[in-house]
Amino acid sequence: MLRFNRVFRDGGGFDSVLVILALGYLVAFSAFPLIYNLVISFQSVDLFTIATFKRPFVGLQNYRDIVGDPLFRTIVWHTVKFVLLSVLGQLLIGLALALFFRLDFPGASWLRGLFLAGWIMPGLVVGALWGWILAGDFGVLNWALQSLGIIKQHIFWLSDPSISIYSVIIANIWLGIPFNMILLSVGLAAIPADIYEAAELDGATRIQRFFTITLPMMRAQLGAVISLGIIFTLQQFDLFAALTQGGPSNASNVLQYWSWDLAFRQYRIGHGSVVSVFMILLVVFVAAVYVRSTRHEHVV
Amino acid sequence: MNIAKTLGVLAIASVSAPAWADPVTINLWTIDRPGEYHYKMAEEFMAKNPDVKVNVRSVQFTDMVNELAKAMATGEAPDVTYIDNPDVALFASHNLLLDMKPMIDKSSVIKLDQIFPGPLASVTYNGGIYGIPRGANTIALYYNADMFKAAGLDPAKPPKTWDELYADAKKLTQPDKGVYGLAFSAAASEEGTFQFLPWLQMTGGNYDNVNTPGGVKALNLWKKFIDEGIASKDTLIRGQWDSTGTFNAGSAAMDISGPWELPRMSKDAKFDFRVALLPVPEDGAPRASALGEGDNVIVANSKHPAEAFRFVEYMYQQMPRVWNEFGYMPAYPVTIDKPNYPEAFAVFNESMKFARNRGPSPDWAKISKAIQTAIQTTLTGQSSADDALATAQTSINGVLGK
Repeated sequence: MLRFNRVFRDGGGFDSVLVILALGYLVAFSAFPLIYNLVISFQSVDLFTIATFKRPFVGLQNYRDIVGDPLFRTIVWHTVKFVLLSVLGQLLIGLALALFFRLDFPGASWLRGLFLAGWIMPGLVVGALWGWILAGDFGVLNWALQSLGIIKQHIFWLSDPSISIYSVIIANIWLGIPFNMILLSVGLAAIPADIYEAAELDGATRIQRFFTITLPMMRAQLGAVISLGIIFTLQQFDLFAALTQGGPSNASNVLQYWSWDLAFRQYRIGHGSVVSVFMILLVVFVAAVYVRSTRHEHVV
Repeated sequence: MNIAKTLGVLAIASVSAPAWADPVTINLWTIDRPGEYHYKMAEEFMAKNPDVKVNVRSVQFTDMVNELAKAMATGEAPDVTYIDNPDVALFASHNLLLDMKPMIDKSSVIKLDQIFPGPLASVTYNGGIYGIPRGANTIALYYNADMFKAAGLDPAKPPKTWDELYADAKKLTQPDKGVYGLAFSAAASEEGTFQFLPWLQMTGGNYDNVNTPGGVKALNLWKKFIDEGIASKDTLIRGQWDSTGTFNAGSAAMDISGPWELPRMSKDAKFDFRVALLPVPEDGAPRASALGEGDNVIVANSKHPAEAFRFVEYMYQQMPRVWNEFGYMPAYPVTIDKPNYPEAFAVFNESMKFARNRGPSPDWAKISKAIQTAIQTTLTGQSSADDALATAQTSINGVLGK
């Protein structure tokens, strides 16, 4: 018993158990599905072979099919546009709101809490809401713009192929603002007030203070928010399903929606897996950049 | 009732269950919710057949194919299930459904030659019969008779040909009032294919022969509807239910959709709405219409095929009730004493004669996708109707191995 206690409660044994538990979880619920997905991407899989092992390996054929698909370039470009604009919009507006709420007016913290309401709503609900706002014929936005005299003709936010992707981006920015704002607020609160005071005494203007104190001190938070923003944006599926279904004519199709459409609507499961492998690579790259950029923060 | 009492009651119930008749249990999957068609059918069948117990499970319509395929691969499939009609060939081609032909030949209830040709084709695959339609639906042209009168059109003479449809729709369009001439669905989903296929079939084309002059003509007409503002641009992303919503609200003067709209329409539409057969390309051209709804099928490795078939027979016998009670069109001609929405029923019932199957093809999903792509690239102006249909034909030939 003593020996057991020594090894498993105080000693290296306990540490090993902790490591094994965490590792076991990761292997079962992250590594296995990822590797399984990778394996499927090299196989010819349809609806009826997915649950069996009768799946012939086809080498790189699925990859050749996807990269050679005339849609591939368009969809990659849409994905890049969707991610960059979404993250940029979320970050700028989130930061602006975080700075605004730091002014500490009456009810500031209460209002800041209310902003989270948008973030905790399920994507499909947000999609339905924006669907009504953006509808071409009876949408609220068109009505508002028309009443204000800004537009004469209705804008078909969701069905005009040159606009539809931007409509999804707008909805996604709205969805991501609260998360950005809260994380950045935390970062702002952590900056000691005396640094600002000292700078102010030395005659630094507001703008100088922002660029020489706020931004550098927020480096870790900004890195985290940007990386997480990219990852969340790459996971954004519900809005596409609810708003445009990637259309019209793939004008708002992105990798994550394409992967689902291939696998579960056309039953080309191997091809769908190829697209998700590409997305995994992208996310791993973003995560690596994030870890690198915040590495020295741990040393401090 | 507390737990102890509940347990007591359960114990008594299990003791008093008759030991002489172990009822056969058959499992049924459906897209219905409790209280709807399959739940009612199961209840009635059990009441009449105490030797059979039917377990009903609801599955989302969009998940049905995936769930079934998974369950069949792992041996957990139900005995009887609902399958949407274009998907029957997919399962039949993998030998996953029971060929009911031998049982039907001996049946005194099911008569194949009674069934409308469309629904019958949808359950036929390589000479076998892999399902029995539980009902059917189809599409027709709804129109707002009040708007017809206001525009100086005769509401007793709805458009009969494509030219008339275009002319009337153009006349009925009032951009200043936000009224479109026509509402339909060209969405990049099965609904788009469902709405387009009849137009193609009326000109002699079909799912395996899309690149035809008739197909080009139909697609160009659709494009004209959108480009000239006769139909909303949102037609490209809107399903039939939402498109018909705009008709009910008075924002469209005509609408192409099916009988499932009638309950809502009779509540929401504050005008005299009527129904006509889909217009044809020109006078005397053959008619065609879409075929919707699904089939009751028996899974190939069901342990109780005889009981399952009796249940399918029972449901087949209830066809005279499906219109008034569940809102489906009967899949074989029946006499209904007092049909709901009698005028609309007469038109849809006539239209059933021309309802054509989608497929059959085990790769229906891919064929449908090719057709949707052709519709969408044409209507967005990314390619001409000729090029779009030629591309679709190439992909379809690839799928069919031609």
